[in-house]
Amino acid sequence: MLKVDHASVFFAARDGRTVHALDRVSFDIPDEGFVVALGASGCGKSTLLNAIAGFLPLSEGSITLNGRPVTGPGADRGVVFQKDALLPWKSVADNVALGLKFAGVGRRERQERVEDLLQLVGLADFGKAAPYELSGGMRQRVGIARALATDPAILLMDEPFGALDSLTREHMQELLISVWSRTAKKVFFITHSIEEALLLGTQVLVMSPRPGRVVRRFDVDFVRRFVEGGDARPIKTSPEFAELREEIRAILHEGENLRSAA
Amino acid sequence: MSEIIHAGELVGDNRAAPVAKVRLVKMADFGVGDKPTLAISLVTAVVILAAWWLVSRLGVVPHLFLPRPDEVLRQVGNIYRDGYAGASLADHVSASLFRIVVAALIAIAAGIPLGLLMGLNRWAKGVLDTPIEFYWPLPPLSYLPLMIIWLGIGETSKITLLVLAMFAPICLSAQAGVRSLPLERVNAARALGASRLQLFFHIVMPSALPEILTGIRIALGVGWGTLVAAELIASTRGIGYMIMSASQFLATDVVFVGIGIIAICAFAFGALVRAAEALLVPWKGKL
Ligand SMILES: Nc1ncnc2c1ncn2[C@@H]1O[C@H](COP(=O)(O)OP(=O)(O)OP(=O)(O)O)[C@@H](O)[C@H]1O
Ligand SMILES: [Mg+2]
Repeated sequence: MLKVDHASVFFAARDGRTVHALDRVSFDIPDEGFVVALGASGCGKSTLLNAIAGFLPLSEGSITLNGRPVTGPGADRGVVFQKDALLPWKSVADNVALGLKFAGVGRRERQERVEDLLQLVGLADFGKAAPYELSGGMRQRVGIARALATDPAILLMDEPFGALDSLTREHMQELLISVWSRTAKKVFFITHSIEEALLLGTQVLVMSPRPGRVVRRFDVDFVRRFVEGGDARPIKTSPEFAELREEIRAILHEGENLRSAA
Repeated sequence: MSEIIHAGELVGDNRAAPVAKVRLVKMADFGVGDKPTLAISLVTAVVILAAWWLVSRLGVVPHLFLPRPDEVLRQVGNIYRDGYAGASLADHVSASLFRIVVAALIAIAAGIPLGLLMGLNRWAKGVLDTPIEFYWPLPPLSYLPLMIIWLGIGETSKITLLVLAMFAPICLSAQAGVRSLPLERVNAARALGASRLQLFFHIVMPSALPEILTGIRIALGVGWGTLVAAELIASTRGIGYMIMSASQFLATDVVFVGIGIIAICAFAFGALVRAAEALLVPWKGKL
């Protein structure tokens, strides 16, 4: 289980003021949980993810993964970035193998693992390609395969599909859900899209900015139906889905109005 | 039949094109990119040679100042056969090449690790900045007398001078390479469990490589300039020395031969670095 406990982050802004980016955020991600953070720009979603990844220390509070406190980055948390951070001098296969190489896994075993992973994300024929020869969606899939390679306890994804067109995005959502249901990993996922949040998450955290807070939490189970049925459309058009979507939209709008009134 | 085009009707020919006669395309470059310029350069060279020949032929400029191309060419043959100023052409060329290659190797071996270290470590940067920022804007010829006084007129002083001149651009470019490293790339590697050493060898070094190669190219340019200057002053061998001796006898054609040899050598070194770039960093500027 990943446990975020009263996590607060204060940044020093350039002009000397203090930015309160995260205010006593607490939540758990149970094993096999898929938690989605949803909220307007600047509400501290990336800050939260960076803290979980260990890139950013907390000002207050604590984060523990399976009982061990998070003190820095590690291979037990796989990160997928919004803009893929692939290494252009390595082939797709070598990019995916990077974490295994760092861990000292032998060449043969690396090759086998990488083949399986590329198969999993549907890029079996592209192992030898250079990252810059791939499309945005394919690169993002390489990023997912790379993050999965070291068999992390949790996947952290910061708007991984934000830059993709809606059709590719839907394919990637299906892919992610099938990976998630097969590997049974914990996922922490950031998005701007209410639909994406509802479709993928087992739990949706709605956040508000200034200071960054979790204002509402929804336990949802559309993803179970998605895993079983494999088709997102009937889920998205169902009345429960629409109702929840509107409710969350209202919450976000309310926050937006409060902000512009202030 | 309806006049309305049926929505979703197939448009155009959907069969796959025969692969044999497809036109291969790629993204348009900005600026020159890798469009071929060789032919243009060759024509330019021919035009310059023709102009040279014409000017010297017509006697616009006194012959002492500007020999004809064919005379210079004949002089190459003469020097090749008989040598010049007490040494064979091969001796002159190899003396210069030896100095610049040895100096380049030393400068690279010292400049890359020190530059990377300066990019990574506050103390290394703070300490090494002082001497480097002090000496590197100085023209090498201004401290050549010191080199000669301290190290004599042998190879050591010349090579040291060259190393100093070539070290700075390599060191500074390695630093710049580290500084341009995107934090996201570092974080990605750390999240994959990279140790500090692995981070250095798998992420920092390759990321800095394009800038380092640019630095080496600049250093070689600086190196040739400094080398010839050094040989003009204290030498018994070398292309610079050959030019200097020729100028004392107003042998303009020999001076031209010397300049031509330096140009060819410098060009060959440049081509070597470019080949290294094509081989080592084909991904430069991508992603
Ligand atoms: N390094 C930093 N220094 C100062 N302030 C920062 C820093 N990083 C983030 N902030 C501030 O913290 C707040 C939260 O930023 P964060 O990047 O977490 O937002 P976000 O929810 O990820 O937004 P987006 O959806 O646009 O990515 C913002 O107000 C931002 O200006
Ligand atoms: Mg963000």
